[in-house]
Amino acid sequence: MLSFDWFKSLLNFHWLAGVPLAVAQALFLVLFVVIGLLVLTIPRSHIYEGVERPRWWHNLKLWALGVLLMIFVTYCLF
Amino acid sequence: MLHGIDYFVVITYLVGIMVLGLYFARFVRSADDFFLSGRSLPFWAIGMSIVVSDIGAMDFVAVSGQAYRYGIAVGNFDWLGSVPAMLLAAFIFIPYFWKAGLYTIPEYLGRRYNDYVRTVASLTWIIFFAFDLGVIFWATAVMLQPLMGWPPWFSILLTVVVVGLYTYFGGLIADVMTDVVQMIIMFVGGATVVFLGLYHVGGWHALVEKITAMGQGYESHFKLIQPTDTNTPYPWTGILFGLTFVMANAYMIGNQAIVQRCLAAKNVWHAKASMITGAFFKMFIPILILFPGLIALAVHPGLEDGDQAMPTLIRSLLPPGLSGLLFAAFLASLMSNVDSIVNSTATLWTKDIYQKFIRKDASDRHYLAVGRYATAVLLIFGVITAPVSNLFPGIYVAIQTFLSFFQGPVFSVLLLGMFWRRATQWGGLAGVTGGIAVSALLYLLDYLLEGRLFAIEDPFLYVSWWSFVAGVLLTVVVSLMTRPHPDDRLSGLVYGLRRDHTGDSHEAVTC
Repeated sequence: MLSFDWFKSLLNFHWLAGVPLAVAQALFLVLFVVIGLLVLTIPRSHIYEGVERPRWWHNLKLWALGVLLMIFVTYCLF
Repeated sequence: MLHGIDYFVVITYLVGIMVLGLYFARFVRSADDFFLSGRSLPFWAIGMSIVVSDIGAMDFVAVSGQAYRYGIAVGNFDWLGSVPAMLLAAFIFIPYFWKAGLYTIPEYLGRRYNDYVRTVASLTWIIFFAFDLGVIFWATAVMLQPLMGWPPWFSILLTVVVVGLYTYFGGLIADVMTDVVQMIIMFVGGATVVFLGLYHVGGWHALVEKITAMGQGYESHFKLIQPTDTNTPYPWTGILFGLTFVMANAYMIGNQAIVQRCLAAKNVWHAKASMITGAFFKMFIPILILFPGLIALAVHPGLEDGDQAMPTLIRSLLPPGLSGLLFAAFLASLMSNVDSIVNSTATLWTKDIYQKFIRKDASDRHYLAVGRYATAVLLIFGVITAPVSNLFPGIYVAIQTFLSFFQGPVFSVLLLGMFWRRATQWGGLAGVTGGIAVSALLYLLDYLLEGRLFAIEDPFLYVSWWSFVAGVLLTVVVSLMTRPHPDDRLSGLVYGLRRDHTGDSHEAVTC
């Protein structure tokens, strides 16, 4: 029989209370890095789809990596 | 109270926006023009429009109030709550939606699952938007009353007339193009308060020193990541699981008011680029709406109500003329919020309900008229229900909480629908309805237990996550017990399964 306290602990993520705050912060930074790596793996054809004469600034990977860099620095600083 | 020059700035803004919106009405000749701007919009306009559609006038006061009380952790909602989700939307979901020629997100759910899922999702959004409109009208008008000296009914009617005229005649293109101007005004108005405030305080470092020197309780005011036992409503677990993984994605991928703009892009590259542009501008939103709360804390510590932070700062800081600019920014955010809700609800009604169940094969002109009538009816409904909000204290929070009822479940079926070809129509229906039931059950339990079920005061982050998990589990279990869709029905709707020229489906690395 599951107790109410167990259920409450599950719902409120108390089972993650032991994770140090620095590790939690690192988790968010790792998330941005992982997203960046996934962006890098997107095929070129997918990035330039819909563009007749591709130029360097049509490269949406650069745009995405730029935004990710901004949020990465923000979460590093704060 | 406003001075003469402030009135001049506000009136110039209102007239300018109305003229601009009505100018674009000349491009609307069909239902496709009205709902999707004839798929002609450039990425920069859509990106800017997405940003302002998401920020209401209430956010200026509420977010700065939260920043006053809890610090910059509230900024997670615009940073973590937007950027990762917008990139996922840009590269995965939006290209599929755009290429499928969709008008609405429930339309995708209808094609991927069945019409029951489409109708449940569409009706839920329509009901939410319709009631949200009246609540936004009333909450914003009441907020503006002490600042501008306008009675609530005057602010409401003014907004309805201006927004109503350009949205009724101009449809989505008028909404998006006026949003571009609204965003510029919002940024200039917000940045003015921040620059003047920081100058008054003595710069950023002085601001940090003043607040951290206030003692215990203020040490974490400059920390984005808060511990699980934090006194703020933003423990990192809720931010990661509830906000980043569910609410943000559900909002950026499943919210009609946001996605409809991308569907109106002139080509698939513009559709993707619009989301990334929106993510870029989103990075600056916390600076505009959160920093004033921190500045108010340094300048006016000890305010009993944190929501008074922004109004107090305006009164003490802004000279005549600049106050008018900020009020124009407030009105801009209100109007962009309202026009997005109205146009997207009219689209949901016309495409998912009227065209599907009431009149199937009418002319294009007929559906254009239905879209316009729906716009007018919604605005009238908003005006009628606005004062009713006054009878229910806390309804603003309640209606926002209602969003967390269905965001998780709808996102669960969108995610599985896109990435798991085995998801079936009955699995999708079970996921949406069961997930919503789990949300309702969790809130009901918390209410019956007098708030003892959840450790945080407003548990929408946790409810979103658990209703999403319930939606995923139900979809998977019921899908495995029911007959799968044939691949040819799923082509162009599932990631890695695209439609070729013969109509057959085949594997593909990308869409």
